[in-house]
Amino acid sequence: MRRIFNILRLATRDYLHEWQMSGCFVLALAAVLGPMMVLFGLKFGIVGSMLQDLVQDPRNREIHPVTSGHYKKAWLDQLSQRPDVAFAIPLTRSIAATIRLKSNSSPRILSVEMIPTAKGEPLFEPGAAVPVKIDEIVLSAEAARKLNVKVGDQVDGSLSRRFAGHKERVHLPLKVVGVARPRAFGRDGAFVTLAMAEAAEDFRDGHAVPDLGWKGDIIPDDVRTYPGFRLYASSIYDVSSLRDELAAQGLDVRTRSEDIDIVQRMDHNLTFVFWAIAVIGLFGFALSLGASLWANVDRKRRELSVLRLVGFRTGDIVWFPVIQSLYTAVLGWGLAALIYQGVASTINRMLGGQLANTQEVCRLLPDHYLIALGLTVGSAIFAAILAGLRSARIEPSEGLREI
Amino acid sequence: MGEKILIYHLRDVVKTRETEGAAFRLRVPSLQIALGEKIALIGESGCGKSTLLDMLAMILQPTEVGSFRFRPERGGAPMDISELWARRKYNRLGDLRKECIGYVMQTGGLLPYMNVRENMSLSRRLLGMPSDGTVEALARHLGIERHLNKLPGLLSAGERQRVAIGRALAHRPSIVIADEPTASLDPIAAERIMSLFIELVEELNITVIIASHAWRHIERLGLRRLSHQSQRLKDGTTESIVTG
Repeated sequence: MRRIFNILRLATRDYLHEWQMSGCFVLALAAVLGPMMVLFGLKFGIVGSMLQDLVQDPRNREIHPVTSGHYKKAWLDQLSQRPDVAFAIPLTRSIAATIRLKSNSSPRILSVEMIPTAKGEPLFEPGAAVPVKIDEIVLSAEAARKLNVKVGDQVDGSLSRRFAGHKERVHLPLKVVGVARPRAFGRDGAFVTLAMAEAAEDFRDGHAVPDLGWKGDIIPDDVRTYPGFRLYASSIYDVSSLRDELAAQGLDVRTRSEDIDIVQRMDHNLTFVFWAIAVIGLFGFALSLGASLWANVDRKRRELSVLRLVGFRTGDIVWFPVIQSLYTAVLGWGLAALIYQGVASTINRMLGGQLANTQEVCRLLPDHYLIALGLTVGSAIFAAILAGLRSARIEPSEGLREI
Repeated sequence: MGEKILIYHLRDVVKTRETEGAAFRLRVPSLQIALGEKIALIGESGCGKSTLLDMLAMILQPTEVGSFRFRPERGGAPMDISELWARRKYNRLGDLRKECIGYVMQTGGLLPYMNVRENMSLSRRLLGMPSDGTVEALARHLGIERHLNKLPGLLSAGERQRVAIGRALAHRPSIVIADEPTASLDPIAAERIMSLFIELVEELNITVIIASHAWRHIERLGLRRLSHQSQRLKDGTTESIVTG
């Protein structure tokens, strides 16, 4: 213990005494590591999140029927059970799927499209609220802005029909349980339960909706069919097989599979390019760090020999360069992190506004800082041990007599 | 004093060195140094003085050994150094250096990042010896008391050699080995420091071996001179033979 403490003290004193030389090593390390971190930050920021977003953009996973048909709920329920299907829900007739909304905080009366939704809505952020009860809605960002409402507010929904020769209008208080993110739906829209969409369709068709107290004809007993559906594959990789399978059932669908191909190719190529650069950079980084530490141990051979002359053991001597390279590694990493912070915030400020999303162009997670530290410390210790062992192997008398 | 205790007892120790085709061999047929003796090793530079001293200081492994015994204490049993080398007991050799040997080099040997006091205390700290004023007293003796808190880089060559002598003596080793300790100094300073050095080892009763190229300097100090002769062999090898 005393031996290690003595070595620690000597190595630290030497490092501080040679602060100019130590500073140069720290700078040299930071000069290589800093740009590497910026490069990784860009890879992670651009290729990582933006491509990830493209890949995960629900619109790329969407499968539209080309023509309207007669789809049954049971068939769609069955479809949604498949592992390659993330979400499936029937659509009511679009002409019947509008509702007029009026809020207390805005003079406007807004006519919005109703989109049936349920738990697991792919257009929403994960974990966002979805309407569960018939009188609950999630407004599109645009509609919420125009109505000047926020989550928890109440709006008045109204539907009209011409029934038995005269115009009729029903009102229904609706509770805003959420506002969808802007890219979920660009127009004025309201995400509602399927029951609500069906009720609106029934009302427009002149049928009665007993649950809501709307009068009309009795609904015929036959199984309900829907003209369309909303279908999302689990991932973009499932889209083409799903499309082929639906085509085999005689159902023509529209997908973005060509766009997906492009995105996938770009993801693949960019990832390759960045890895190539990263591997070359890492190699150069390890080489430069190793070379400078090796040279440093060589330079100190005489002093290390003096330590052995006064009786330091060979095993203790190896600690001397290891401790010093540890200082260099940690300080260099700290400086590189500061350089990275400066560059990254500049890049984000300059380019941030040009991006549709609010995400950062250049960013690293705390994990990445730790990985950089681990790599630096690891290769520093490795190089220092190699160099230290080499200097410990020569006979002390040899090192002493060197000029 | 009674029976003579041999701190070093060497028989047929050989060190061969080959540098750029020119071979050099140091041969020690027999060497006996008693505890408390003051030994001078005189010879031109390049005749193998440092080689012998490094072997005695256990920082250089002999090429061939008949026997190499080391007995740093009156009461202790002699140790077989050749066996320690052969069995690669480098840590044991390091411990022996730390406890029993002080070494003064021609120049340098001080750590530039430690002040004079810390340099002189280096071996004492390694051995866990207390700071009991020994170093300060030694510095007073050596006339470097006012430099105790300075870094070696600020001292003159002579002052640095005084510090080196102080470090070699501070932990009270059994033997001090000095390789031309005053060769880099002017003659007046050299003579003064040499006298001081011998005075100190006598006072502390420490065995000393000094290598020098000038006998004149140290003749008066009462040292026993080792016999040393060099010859060039037919195969071009330079052979140096030391006995005593």
